Amino acid sequence: MKIIAAFEKTKEISYTSHLDVQRTLQRAFRRANLPLAFSKGFNPHPKLSFATALATGYTSAGEWLEVELEREITPEAFIERVNAVLPKGMRFVTAFVGDESIDTLSKMLVAAKYIITLYTDAPVGTEALRAAVGTILASDEVIVEKKTKSGVKPANIRPEILEAEAVSASDRTAVVAVVGTLNAAGGLRAETFARALFERLNLNGRFTAHRTALLFTGSDRLPRLG
Amino acid sequence: MTDMLLSRVEKPARYIGSEWNMERKEVYDFRFALCFPDVYEIGMSHLGSRILYRVLNDMDGVYCERCYAPWTDMEQALRELHEPLFTLETKSPLRDFDIVGFSLLYEMCYTNVLTMLDLSDIPFLAAERDESYPLIVAGGPCTVNPEPIAELMDAILIGDGEELEPELVECMRQARRDGVSKRELLLRLSAIEGVYVPSLYRPVYENGRYVRTERLCEEAPEHPVRRVVRDLDHAKYIGRQLVPHMQIVHDRVAVEVMRGCTRGCRFCQAGYIYRPVRERTKETLLDQTRALVACTGYDEVSLLSLSTGDYSELHALLPRIIDDMAEQKVSVSLPSLRIDSILKDDLEKMQTVRKGGLTFAPEAGTQRMRDVINKNVTEEDLLRAVTDAFTAGWCGVKLYFMIGLPTETDEDIVGIAELARKVSNCFYRLPKDKRGSGFRVTVSVSTFVPKPWTAFQWCAQNRQEEIVRKQQLLKTALKGVRGAELHCHPSVLSVLEAVFSRGDRRLINVLIDAYRRGCRFDSWAEHFKPDAWAAAFEQNGLTMDEYAHRERDMEEPLPWETIDALVTVSYLRREWQRAQEARTTKDCRQGCNGCFGAHCEDYCRV
Repeated sequence: MKIIAAFEKTKEISYTSHLDVQRTLQRAFRRANLPLAFSKGFNPHPKLSFATALATGYTSAGEWLEVELEREITPEAFIERVNAVLPKGMRFVTAFVGDESIDTLSKMLVAAKYIITLYTDAPVGTEALRAAVGTILASDEVIVEKKTKSGVKPANIRPEILEAEAVSASDRTAVVAVVGTLNAAGGLRAETFARALFERLNLNGRFTAHRTALLFTGSDRLPRLG
Repeated sequence: MTDMLLSRVEKPARYIGSEWNMERKEVYDFRFALCFPDVYEIGMSHLGSRILYRVLNDMDGVYCERCYAPWTDMEQALRELHEPLFTLETKSPLRDFDIVGFSLLYEMCYTNVLTMLDLSDIPFLAAERDESYPLIVAGGPCTVNPEPIAELMDAILIGDGEELEPELVECMRQARRDGVSKRELLLRLSAIEGVYVPSLYRPVYENGRYVRTERLCEEAPEHPVRRVVRDLDHAKYIGRQLVPHMQIVHDRVAVEVMRGCTRGCRFCQAGYIYRPVRERTKETLLDQTRALVACTGYDEVSLLSLSTGDYSELHALLPRIIDDMAEQKVSVSLPSLRIDSILKDDLEKMQTVRKGGLTFAPEAGTQRMRDVINKNVTEEDLLRAVTDAFTAGWCGVKLYFMIGLPTETDEDIVGIAELARKVSNCFYRLPKDKRGSGFRVTVSVSTFVPKPWTAFQWCAQNRQEEIVRKQQLLKTALKGVRGAELHCHPSVLSVLEAVFSRGDRRLINVLIDAYRRGCRFDSWAEHFKPDAWAAAFEQNGLTMDEYAHRERDMEEPLPWETIDALVTVSYLRREWQRAQEARTTKDCRQGCNGCFGAHCEDYCRV
């Protein structure tokens, strides 16, 4: 059987990498004594796959994964047993038994929603923030330097931005909500959006990103876009 | 705050803590910072620290937290933001602790101790710290010659820590209840077996050389004795082993089957300073393995000791552990098998779950040389073991050697290549359908470093030019050996290691000077600054040559002899004599060699 589940990742361990999270979950599943199905071959591995990776340093309300089990287990038991052995900072929030409607999570993924918080080096007003977000949305092109394998290149991220909204601004903190495309081939990164926004605001600073949802198509059982 | 630091560094997971099985405590009245002067991945792999973390946290009211040396990017971030170094559990600065304890595993981490103190606003020298500072202590194998770092430490813990550290904590708690001065506290500590309080002793130098140590008060023991846990089977073990998020060097369940080694290899400091051999029973080991696997979720178990093949119940233990673990798809590895103890059955068993690398340590290339170092392994043993391994499906083997050993000639160097050639031939002699493909024989060569409390403690280390020449010679000799690959450890580092291994208290000025010149993480090739070290020696009127490349007279007083490491100097002298005659000494399981002298009754026959 297949369990489809989502876990949250909070501040306490946000600075672990995707690989770290994979390792931590595999070990937690063993501690929980789940009847894991293993891949065949020389180096048997539990059959576990993620909808996508979360960048190191980000937090998330729901990272989706699918795991193959050899014996039946209820989603409630899955959540209870695994949560009992997860380190602080990780917790399953939902789970259900997989069916034909769900092919592969990574193939069904289309977008992600973020709350991005900018910590600016000078005060920023609500109007200025709204205007900056507005400028981004009104532009046909939003060019940001993007790191690629062959060096830093300018890239237009505007097509990746589906929605953006100024949430709040007070003193040196500005909060925006953004929905960006995300699939196996790539998509909007909170980091590039944050940089574009800093530029429009004419400010410097650092940011944090919280992924509030991964959005899918093709199944009613997963959070959907729109 | 932490976000500002973490977002600046390459591997932030080193500093976040929150691993599974991390201790969380609300109520405590005594704080112990267990510090490891190297990066997280290395420190987290250290067995001794894992044991002490458990032992200390099992004490009522004691909260033991961890702190590792910050990598250079984090050091820079801390300095720029004017933040102190912090522990992983509660992110507290080291100044807030009652005891700050360092594990000293190798001399090349000494500059990192300074980094950690510096970033905590703690003065380096014990003499400059009053009661308002934490008690700074150190333990670990390096402390069998505590002198180079003696002036940094309030107290030094020599030998096994699992009984010693709780006694240290209790003693300090009582002293605090009694409201005594730091000096009185140190006096009380010095009465604990295994504790050396450097400020109670003063070394004397004449004509630029160490001549003796003066005791500054009557109450202090004349020779602090290395501490030994007598009953290892009942000693506290790791319990709930920490499971890191990021990958660490030894990322698996660690089960210590025994402590000590009976072989008596003459170069091997561990072989001398962990005596006597103490084993855990196979029942205890099975219980510990099951419990550790269950509470960690690891899929690999390592059976650790200096020589696991010598464990008396190995052939009863191994099949049971392997069968037990195979059900859960957990693999079992034995990292330190001796060539002569490995059995074909074990090899076949070991690969039923997962096949690890195979490593053998003949240490020297000729039988004469192996007799000098008392590595009682023959060429026949090695060739039989590798043939068995190749037949069982292994197609790679790593061989460890040392060069620069006492009495070594060029013939011994060429002998290393000859041995590799024979191993290679063992593989290619097998019929094609009986052997794997992609054969490799990796020859890994390190430079011999004479260590205190070994039979070679008087020997001169080869000079660097000589080591480089020998490495070249070996490289040439290995040409034409099918599948051979040569790895040589950089020899510059070995010189500094030799200096600090057998150093005295005068080196503290060199150490601090080198630190101020930017020396950090000296065991990492990319950080090692030989020029800065050279300048630091020059500045302080000392030479590396004097410490590393000078042969000591057998009667010369040695700075580490203030310590009683249990193994006697007269035994070591006998061993050095025999070495020079290429005469071996038997494994002490076959009969006592008298290494403990008068201590034998009390410490060995337990």
